[in-house]
Amino acid sequence: MDNNFALLNNVEHQNIKVITERSARYGDDVHFAMTFPLEFRQIQSCYPIFFRKDANTGQFSPVALFGFQPRENLYLSDTGWDAHYIPLMIRRHPFVIGLQQVQGEGDTKREVVSIDMNSPRVNESEGEALFLPHGGISDYLSSVTEMLETIRLASEMNAPFVDALLELDLIESVTMQIELKDGSKNELLGYYTINEEKLQELDGETLGRLHSHHYLESIFMILASLSCFRTLIDKKNDQLGDA
Amino acid sequence: MSDPVNTVVVVGGGTAGWLTAGLLAAEHRPSQESGLEIILIESPDVSPIGVGEGTWPTMRTSLQTMGVSETEFIRQCDASFKQGTRFSGWSTGDDEHYYHPFAPPLRFNDFDLARHWQPLRDKVDYADAVTPQGRACERALAPKQITTPEFAGNLNYGYHLDAGKFSKFLERHCVEKLGVTHIVDNVVAVNGADNGDIESLGLRSGETVHGDLFVDCTGFAALLLGKHYEVPHRSVRDYLFNDTALAVQVPRSSPDEPIASTTLSTAQRAGWIWDIALPKRRGIGYVFSGAHTSDEQAEADLRSYLASTADVEFSESCNPRRIDFSAGHREKLWHRNCVAVGLSGGFVEPLEASALVMIEQSANMLSEQLPPNRSTMDIVAKRFNDKFLYHWHRITDFLKLHYVLSRRDDTDYWRDNRSAHSIPGDLTESLELWRYRCPRYQDFSRVDELFPAASYQYVLYGMNFETEGPSDRRHSDTAARATADSLFNENIKLTAQALQALPTNRDLISKVHEFGFQKI
Repeated sequence: MDNNFALLNNVEHQNIKVITERSARYGDDVHFAMTFPLEFRQIQSCYPIFFRKDANTGQFSPVALFGFQPRENLYLSDTGWDAHYIPLMIRRHPFVIGLQQVQGEGDTKREVVSIDMNSPRVNESEGEALFLPHGGISDYLSSVTEMLETIRLASEMNAPFVDALLELDLIESVTMQIELKDGSKNELLGYYTINEEKLQELDGETLGRLHSHHYLESIFMILASLSCFRTLIDKKNDQLGDA
Repeated sequence: MSDPVNTVVVVGGGTAGWLTAGLLAAEHRPSQESGLEIILIESPDVSPIGVGEGTWPTMRTSLQTMGVSETEFIRQCDASFKQGTRFSGWSTGDDEHYYHPFAPPLRFNDFDLARHWQPLRDKVDYADAVTPQGRACERALAPKQITTPEFAGNLNYGYHLDAGKFSKFLERHCVEKLGVTHIVDNVVAVNGADNGDIESLGLRSGETVHGDLFVDCTGFAALLLGKHYEVPHRSVRDYLFNDTALAVQVPRSSPDEPIASTTLSTAQRAGWIWDIALPKRRGIGYVFSGAHTSDEQAEADLRSYLASTADVEFSESCNPRRIDFSAGHREKLWHRNCVAVGLSGGFVEPLEASALVMIEQSANMLSEQLPPNRSTMDIVAKRFNDKFLYHWHRITDFLKLHYVLSRRDDTDYWRDNRSAHSIPGDLTESLELWRYRCPRYQDFSRVDELFPAASYQYVLYGMNFETEGPSDRRHSDTAARATADSLFNENIKLTAQALQALPTNRDLISKVHEFGFQKI
């Protein structure tokens, strides 16, 4: 279903509730989600981090990988999302944050929160209420707002991080061949990772510069995250075993 | 080493001059101490002719060789993607067209799909049966996506570009990045040495520029090879009649007008009209034979094309620029220590955009075979001449093919084009052979043929030339039939995928301006 975003307000959305359960039914059946250096530490302990090009802009973003093909989320089971950390870009649903021009104040923009009224999470009977009976915002909504603010700040840091890596040729295309226990061979295309050879060749000054922006830490988080690729394959093999 | 070649002097600051300087500099590194010195002299008074605005896919390699970013090139040269040529009205003059796409037929290297298309000729156009590209072009789609890396393509492509901006772009790159020395001055004297070589050039400022090898990129003026050495011009007018062009630049009526992804070539009563789509304007021109139409009629025909494809008011008010040319080339391109690249060496007509690719080929050979010293220069010169005279010969044949196959009978121009004495002997022989089998690799003898057998196939079968189809008596034909069927089916699948995945040319160009391509 297409998105149908509405600016959130306590009149129209007074009785809206949001289901926070993790399930394919609620749109969690995705095979990757954008992530940011800010959450790399948590992400790398659960998911492999790669770079992908945005289909619309061609720009690189780091993503956490959940599966090998569209709609395959190997972390999702009947009992929910099987990982101790769920990426911010998954948890944000059904909300987005944007900037809106403030009328009559020139360049001033303010942050506004919108809700996707077409999301299956949105209803009036089940889940977390957004507003209190008298119109005040619920603890749930205030935690959502805080999370959206974090996402906005964190996502702004992706472009300079990626640019710094590209400038040093530190991003390379990677083709992953996966052989599963049923003998099937799968090829993953369209993913990019850190070029370790180029990384080893960097001189002290360049490394220092990367470090001063905290990029070095992020680079190694990405490299460390690749061990989770094995987790993904194991999960996939387990599923085959069930079948 | 005696008489080393240390300094190359390029005369002329148009596309030919800067492409030659750039390709030479990319290989021979003038910015390094032991590198070759490359000097380009550009006249402040001569403006480049600037109608060479269609490239071949080879330009991608040339740009990469020079270390140019594709994103910057597209942004700064008002460039768009070109995937071939769409020919309208060439066969019968009615409302008909065919494509000559840049992509070769599926499995062209090792399978004769064209033969198996023969029985299907009434059901599907040749190009559409063997590549997705024509159908993608019909919808003005781009050859790639914004996620495709620089210079890579889902479909094969070259460019349409603004020639004036392209020269300036190359100039900046050559001077700032590649170490080419740029002198803006007029050459007023060509100073000969005792042995007949050019020793130096005298400039208006009084300065003298010495060199070991001189590259004549002075356009039709051919200042060095023509004026100084008087190397004769060999006309091909007997075969190719066109000698005049009327050119205009048509502004876009709205910023999101579709951008055609092929050169449009529309046959007229005494020639044809090119229509080259850039993001901000179209370059349109009528190239014709002065012996077959009057200037007034030609201008009226051009205005009528403009009125039907652009703006009526513009079609009446515009002021076409007239370019006269004499189809042909110099009897040799390299004489003593002087070599001609670009229009100075030759020009036949704009059909199939052979001008820029000849510049690239010349510059590449010059760069690869650059003689280390004067004593080996004559050997290289001889080989260079052999090769490029062969190319001129092949270009003449291939361009003539477009006219010979026409069944138009509305004017003397088209009838004269089919008269036996106007057809090169080689071409007549080839056409006789091709009645029985499709053009293949061995029909053309060079590894770097300008027009490969695939191009001949697209034109021949686009214009309804008939070749004998597969025969039950030929074992190879029966054995290959299943392969042919699966290739035709594969092409249907690939076509559906391409149409679904590719953005329009306009969309992609906008995205290149906004986001740019990634290098990987």
